[in-house]
Amino acid sequence: MKLDGTNTLAAPIETVWTTLNDPEALRRCTPGLQELKEVGPDTYQATLTIGIAAVKGTYSGTLRITDKQPPRHYRIALEGSGGAGFMKGEGSVDLEPQGNGTLLRWSGDVQVGGLIAGVGQRMLGGVGKMLIGQFFKCLEQRLGSGT
Amino acid sequence: MGTRYVGARIARNEDPALLRGRGLFVDDVRLPGMVHAAVLRSPHARARIHGVDTRRARAVPGVLAVYTHADLGRLGAPLPKLIPHPSLIHHKTQCPLASDAVRYVGEPVALVVAESRYLAEDACDLIEVAYEPLPAVASVEEAVRPGSPLVHEDIGTNVCARYTQQTGDVDDAFARAPHRFRERFVVDRGAACPMETRGVVASWDARTGLLEVWDSTQAPIPIRNGLAAMFGLLQHNVRVVAPDVGGGFGAKIMMFYPEEVLVPWAAMRLGRPVKWIEDRRESMVAMNQEREQIHDAEIAADGDGRILGVRTVFLYDSGAYIPYGLIVPIVASTTLPGPYRVPSYRCEFAAVFTNKTTVSPYRGAGRPHGVFVMERLLDRVARELGLDRAEVRRRNLIQPDQFPYDVGLIYQDNAPLRYDSGNYPLCLERALDLIDYAAWPARKQAARSEGRYVGCGVACYVEGTGIGPYEGCRITVEPSGKVVVATGVGTQGQGHMTSLAQIAADALGVTPRDVSVHTGDTALFNWGTGTFASRAATVAGNAVALAAQAVRERARRVAATLLEAPVEEIELAGGKASVRGVPARAVSLGELAVAANPLRFAMPADWDGPGLEAVRYFTPPQGAFSNGVHACIVEVDPETGMLSFHRYVVVHDCGRVINPTILEGQIHGGVAQGLGGAFWEKLAYDEQAQPLSTTFMDYLLPTAAEVPALEVAHVETPSPLNPLGIKGAGEAGVIPVAAAVAQAIEDALEPFGAHIAEAPLSPSRLRQLIAEGRRTP
Repeated sequence: MKLDGTNTLAAPIETVWTTLNDPEALRRCTPGLQELKEVGPDTYQATLTIGIAAVKGTYSGTLRITDKQPPRHYRIALEGSGGAGFMKGEGSVDLEPQGNGTLLRWSGDVQVGGLIAGVGQRMLGGVGKMLIGQFFKCLEQRLGSGT
Repeated sequence: MGTRYVGARIARNEDPALLRGRGLFVDDVRLPGMVHAAVLRSPHARARIHGVDTRRARAVPGVLAVYTHADLGRLGAPLPKLIPHPSLIHHKTQCPLASDAVRYVGEPVALVVAESRYLAEDACDLIEVAYEPLPAVASVEEAVRPGSPLVHEDIGTNVCARYTQQTGDVDDAFARAPHRFRERFVVDRGAACPMETRGVVASWDARTGLLEVWDSTQAPIPIRNGLAAMFGLLQHNVRVVAPDVGGGFGAKIMMFYPEEVLVPWAAMRLGRPVKWIEDRRESMVAMNQEREQIHDAEIAADGDGRILGVRTVFLYDSGAYIPYGLIVPIVASTTLPGPYRVPSYRCEFAAVFTNKTTVSPYRGAGRPHGVFVMERLLDRVARELGLDRAEVRRRNLIQPDQFPYDVGLIYQDNAPLRYDSGNYPLCLERALDLIDYAAWPARKQAARSEGRYVGCGVACYVEGTGIGPYEGCRITVEPSGKVVVATGVGTQGQGHMTSLAQIAADALGVTPRDVSVHTGDTALFNWGTGTFASRAATVAGNAVALAAQAVRERARRVAATLLEAPVEEIELAGGKASVRGVPARAVSLGELAVAANPLRFAMPADWDGPGLEAVRYFTPPQGAFSNGVHACIVEVDPETGMLSFHRYVVVHDCGRVINPTILEGQIHGGVAQGLGGAFWEKLAYDEQAQPLSTTFMDYLLPTAAEVPALEVAHVETPSPLNPLGIKGAGEAGVIPVAAAVAQAIEDALEPFGAHIAEAPLSPSRLRQLIAEGRRTP
């Protein structure tokens, strides 16, 4: 399933970049995140609890940030599994200055399997967008309402 | 003779218990000390397994055992290959638990046994499986593309069989034909969805060496035989009971599903009774499915719409394994010609592995596909040649004086496909009368003028039923005068307790209420194959008739001795034997049963053994062929893509009818499942073969709101192949529904030029087809 979107953040590109690379910010802003442990450079071990339709599941897996081109671009790869099945995703984040703020474009391709695919597939697009929306909303709040 | 019960519309013997909730289904079996199993299933459609770590699961208090493939030893080998065929080169079956690879979502990887099902399921979550996910094969077309991933890497191909059947010189017929039309038809996957999912309870008694298994199966005797062989036990020491079974529809005739081996094995190892009940979500991935076929089909016809030849090449999706062999595609191939004279025909198929749930017969078992292809081709002929659809069918029907009719193919029972009897034109005319086909053009016009889109569909079919090899029956009259009928075929709601009782009652001069029918318990009858292929009433029913006849003869001989009258003058009626013309000289059947089992003194030699008891078998020489016609009137709302049925007519001939109520029930249920396959029920998979419709939120079973009131009429052409003259009816209802509905929808949407070449449809798909139509009204 492919998802994409854009957000405008009221902070200069360098600030946005730093926040996006701050484990503390990721920890605070990722919905359902239980645990995020840095296990190597740009590599984290994560535990996430997400509910989709009637299925609530805890997934543990890894999150990797690659192809870093500060302050404009990185790619993110996520892999997790749990009782409710597995998920695997890949995406990219691109930043560009826009006036005093920053335009953030994101896109991702998520694959799910097992229970969550069978039961929650219809909801997946909506829930995915909602969770990513929550993430950026939180990010905006951390960056301060500069608008 | 007294009242005749065969043919009577009597209430069912089994209903008082079932309707009061007093049935015994597998989940109702509760044994002292019983523990519960749950199965960990693969979330991947295709993956390698690099290891399974069960330590955390084993450590949970209340968990008795966690089994993986490594624990199974000899039992870990691939499960039995059923029904081999010379063309089936790669007969792959699954292991009870996956060893180093998984090939569909839902494949069992581990079995947990715990004090409760809750604990067992929680422990499943703690098992860590090191999967290496691999690209999956999600469709038959993808599977045959060069470079496709391989479901079974060791065989180097996804094609496990190619098979061709042919009659007449089809290429010559096409070369000479004035008209040839080509179409591509797609039939997608569906699920049987019996109300009761699968379930197994097993109990092992080390003192008596008796293994008892309650299994929601259609084939308890083959399951018993297989378990005895696998565990090295005497068949005599294994008892398999298929108690009340809440529907099977073919999906419960697998010998074996993994759980049917694992649960008894776990019970023997643990020395505790073990229960496993499949939940609905499991059932949607772990119970066998059916229906996916893609046909490239062609018909050759003369200017009058007479068929000169038909040829089809199709892909059959077997799913990840092919335990049941080629039955479904062979049935599809041989059902396709139907009630029509097809002078030349070729059907070639490739059976193909995909990374989806295994396929085995589901009610219809290839027949709906064959009929869909044939009926859609005839509709095309009618449209192209400007002929009436019913008239095209009428011109091509096999005539009553042409029976027995040799189709020129080999059927699923490996016998020549030879229709035994029938009156196809009569069935068609009756259906056309009932739906008032003559008035249809005017009614259609009237609807159009009101801006409504209403269509009529008429589809014919032949159903192969009542195949061998055999079934048997033991009938015993007890001292109470009650009659006990024991047979090997199980029952899954078909009403055997009543229809078999009616047959016995007629021969013995008792009422069906006096006849207690016992099915599905290997301790009560030792021989049999199972309830499938619309065969139970025909094959077991005739065995009952033969055994009842034998008991009747013995009862008359015993009565002749007691009443001091010649055997020829003894009559059985009203539960008594009496001397013809002297009703006062009578003795009850119960008294005869007591007398036939003396404690002392010499027994007359002509009684031929003790008691009023006989065992008989019936072995049909070949299948018996039922037939029928469905006609429906459907309104389509082009805005929403929704259907509403104005009428649905079924005219059906399954030979002599035993019980019209039961027969109509079979037809109603079949049509409901057929409507599912025509419009509602679709098992969707994503491009990585992840199943997307594993709940009833997404997999839409037709409910009372979707199933129209059905008008059912019977034609009775007896079968010459058995003493009762009966044929099967189990699958009839489902077979032509998709064909009839597609035709009606296409008729309704004629102003849009929408073309229907697939089943199932859906409201959204229908809107898409309207948009793709050639015209705007």
